[in-house]
Amino acid sequence: MSLASSRLGNPRTVGGALCAAGFVAIVVPARFAPALGAELIAAGFWWWARASAEPARQVPRWSWLRRPAAALWLAAALQAAMALAGGESARTAATLALGTAIAAVAVVWAALELLAALPLARPFSDLPAPFADRGFWLPALLPSAGFLLLWRQAPLWLDVGYVRVGALFLLLLTATLAGLRAFGRRQWTAGLRWLVVLDGALAGALLASQIVSPGVAALLWIGAGGTHTYLLAAELEGATPRRGPVLAALWRATAWTSTTALGWPLLAAVGSLPLARAITVSVLGGLPVALASWVNVARMVEAPERRSMARPTSGLTLTRVAPALLISGLPVAIVSAWWAGFVPPWGAMLWATVPALVGGGAALLTFRDRAGTEPRGPEALESDAVPRAGQAARFAARWLFRLIVGLERALVWGAAGVLRFLGAPLRDLHTGDAQEYVLFLAGVAVLAAVLPLLR
Amino acid sequence: MSLATLLAQPAWPVLLALVAGLLLVAADVRSRAWVTMVAGLLVLGPCAAVLARGGAPAAALAPLVGGLVVAALARDDRDPLPGECALKLLWLLGGALALSAVGSALLTLGTGVTAPPEQWNVLQLGLVQRTLWSVALPLALLAGVVLLGGAPFHFWVADLFQGASAALAPLAVAALQLTGAVWLTERLAGIETFGEGARLTAAVLRTVAAAALLAGAGTILAQRRPERRVGTLTSIQGGIVLAMLASQLGRPPGIASLTGWLAAWAAHQSLALSGAALLARLAPVDRVPGEPGAHLFRRHPLTALAGLYSLFSLAGVPGTPGATFWLGLARVLVERGSRGLLVALALAWLAAFAAAMRELREGFGAPTAVPPERPVHWPVRLALWLSGGGIAVLGAARLILR
Repeated sequence: MSLASSRLGNPRTVGGALCAAGFVAIVVPARFAPALGAELIAAGFWWWARASAEPARQVPRWSWLRRPAAALWLAAALQAAMALAGGESARTAATLALGTAIAAVAVVWAALELLAALPLARPFSDLPAPFADRGFWLPALLPSAGFLLLWRQAPLWLDVGYVRVGALFLLLLTATLAGLRAFGRRQWTAGLRWLVVLDGALAGALLASQIVSPGVAALLWIGAGGTHTYLLAAELEGATPRRGPVLAALWRATAWTSTTALGWPLLAAVGSLPLARAITVSVLGGLPVALASWVNVARMVEAPERRSMARPTSGLTLTRVAPALLISGLPVAIVSAWWAGFVPPWGAMLWATVPALVGGGAALLTFRDRAGTEPRGPEALESDAVPRAGQAARFAARWLFRLIVGLERALVWGAAGVLRFLGAPLRDLHTGDAQEYVLFLAGVAVLAAVLPLLR
Repeated sequence: MSLATLLAQPAWPVLLALVAGLLLVAADVRSRAWVTMVAGLLVLGPCAAVLARGGAPAAALAPLVGGLVVAALARDDRDPLPGECALKLLWLLGGALALSAVGSALLTLGTGVTAPPEQWNVLQLGLVQRTLWSVALPLALLAGVVLLGGAPFHFWVADLFQGASAALAPLAVAALQLTGAVWLTERLAGIETFGEGARLTAAVLRTVAAAALLAGAGTILAQRRPERRVGTLTSIQGGIVLAMLASQLGRPPGIASLTGWLAAWAAHQSLALSGAALLARLAPVDRVPGEPGAHLFRRHPLTALAGLYSLFSLAGVPGTPGATFWLGLARVLVERGSRGLLVALALAWLAAFAAAMRELREGFGAPTAVPPERPVHWPVRLALWLSGGGIAVLGAARLILR
C-alpha cells in the first residue's frame, strides 16, 4: 500500500502514466479518443512541469500542448455533430463540407504542432524538459505523437486536397529545418532529438504524398523513428549502442539504412511529379535525408568500453537484437509498397538513394584520418584544414535555421500585434461606469430598430 | 412514477441548487447582517420557483425577478460592489423592459390586438405598414436578449457574479436568463404564420447569437477574475439559447416546441452555476504559473474536482451533461445549414473549454510539501458536492433515458 501510494504521489510516475495513457488513446479507434490522448499527454507534461524544480519556467513552456488537444476536441465534436445531423438540402451539404474541412484542418494542425511543423512552437526540441536529469528525451515523445495522429486520422484529412498539399509542404520544410538543426548541433543527444522530429516529418510527408499506403509509411517510420528514439533513450543508460566498435557500427548502419528507407519512396516518386513540384520535393526531401545520413554516421562516436573484461552474457542483449527488429520492417514495407503498385523507374530508384549515399559517404570519408586506418570522431578532426569546411557548414546550418525560425516568429508576433492593435479599442468599449450602460443600451436599441429598415 | 421519469423532471436540480444556496446563506449568517441574509433568502425562493417552472410561458415574471434581485443587491450596504451592481442592473433591465414595452405597444397599436399570435395574423394581411412592425418587432425582443446576457449586453452577468454573493448569483442569473428565453418564446409564439416577420426575427436573433458567442469567445480568456470567467461562460450559454431559438424560428415544429429543451437547459444551468460560481470564489485570481495552488484545491482536492465538474459541464466539456446542449445545437445548425453560427459556436466552445482547463491548472498550481491546516468551511464543501453530484446524476439520467 505504501509503495503504491508513494508511486501515486511521485510526479514522474503520474506524468509518465498520463503520457502512456495518452499514446494508447491516440491509436484507439474511437471518435473522441485521439483528443483525449492529446489532452492526457498535455496533462502529463503539465504534471511534470508543476512538480519540477522551476515550475514558473516549465509550466508556461509546455502550456502550448493544450492547443493540439483543443484542435482535436474540435475535430471530434464536429464529427459527432455531423454524424447526428440529418437533412438533405444544399445548405446542409455545404455545411457538412465546411465541417469536414474544419475537422481536417484541426487534425492536421494538432499533428503538425506536435511535429514542430508550425512556427508557434517549433524549437521545443531545443528546450530542456521538466526533469533535467532524465527528461531531456521527453520532447522526443511529441513528434511521435504527432505522426501517430497523422497516421491514425489519415482518412479524415487525406481526402481534403488543399489540406493535404499544405501539410505536405509544411512537413517537408520541417524535415529540412530539423535536418539543418540536427547537423548544426554538436551534441549527439541534441542531434538525435531533431532526428526524431525529422523522422516524423518525413513519414508524415510520405503519408500526405499518398505515394505509399499509410501502413507502409508507419512501418518505415517505426524503423527510423524507433532507431533514433532507442538511441536517445539509451544515452540515459550508459550509451550501450556506442560501446565497442561492433555495436557502434551496427547501430550506425541501422540508423543510416532506416533513414534512407524512409526518404527513398518520396524521392523515387519525384519523376512522376510536375517539374516545379519535383524540384521542391527533391530539395526539401533530399537535403534532410543527406543531412540525417551524415549525422547518423559521423556523430555516433564510438564510446570507450568501461570494463576491462566483458561481462559474460549469452550475446542476445536488447541492444544487439533491436537493430534487427527495427530493420526487419523495412523490407516488408518496401515489398508491400511494390505489391500495391509502387514501381518507380530504375533511374528514379537509384536517384532516390543519392542523398543518403552522399550524406553517409561524406561522413565516412571524414570519419577516417588521412592514413585511413583509425576511426576518429569529428571533434578530433577540427584542427585539420578539411574539417574546417565541416565546421563552417555546421555554422551555416545553425545560422540558416535561426534565420528561418526568426522570420517565422517575427511573422507570428506581427500578426499577434495587429490583432492586439485591433482588439484594444474593443477593450475600451465601456469603462464599467453605470451611466454607460444606459447609453450603450440606447445605442443598440437604435441599431436594432434601424438595421432591419436597411435590409 | 419511475426513477427515470423522476430524474427527467427539471425541479430536482433546481431544488439541489436552492439547498446549495441556502447552505451558503447559513454559512454566511455569522459574519453578515441577518437582514441581508433574510433578504437574500427571500430572493432565492422565488428564483428557484421560476426555474422549476421550466419553459412555461410567464414573461411577466421577468420584471418581478429583476426587481427582487436588484432589491436584494441594494440591501447589502457594507460593500459598494453589490450596490453598484444593483444600480447597473436596474438601469439596464429597466431600460430594456421599457423599450420592449414600447415595441409591444407599437405592435398593439398597429394591429389592434394584444395577443402576439393574433398580431402575426393581422400583420400577415399586410394592413400594417412595414416600417412600423419592423421597428416594433426588434424592440419588443430587446428585453429577452438583454436578460439572456448575450453580447453586447453580456457585462451584467459577469458584474452580478462578481458583485453578488455566491449564494444569490447563480439562481438569480439562471432565473433571469430563463425569463429572458421565455420572454422571447412568448413574444414570438405563432410567428410562423407571418413569414416575413419570422425571417426578420430569425436574422436579428442569428446576429445577436453570433455576437454573443463571438464576444464570449473573444473575452473569456482575457478575464482575470474567475467570477467574471463564469459570468462570460454564462453569457455564452445565453448565446446558445439565442442560436437555438433562431434556428427553430419559422420552421416546423416551431419555437413553441422548445419548452422542454428550455426546462432541461434551465435545470442544468442552475445546478452548474451553483458549483461554478462557488468554485470561482475559492479559485486563485490571476495566478502566476508556478505558484502553489489555491487553499481549497490543496486541502480538499476531491471537493475541488466536484466543483470543477460543474464548471466543465457549463463549458460543455465532452462527457458532461452540459455538452449535450452544445452538441445538440451544433447538430441543429448543421441541419439548418447555418455555417456562420456553427463557426461562432465552435470558437466559443474552444474558448470555454480552454477557460475551464485554465481554472483547473491554476487552481491546483504547483504542489506544496504540506497542505494547509485549516479546512474549508463544511457547508461550502457540501454545496460544491451537491452541485457536482447533481450534475453527475443529471448526466447519468440522460444516459438512462437515452
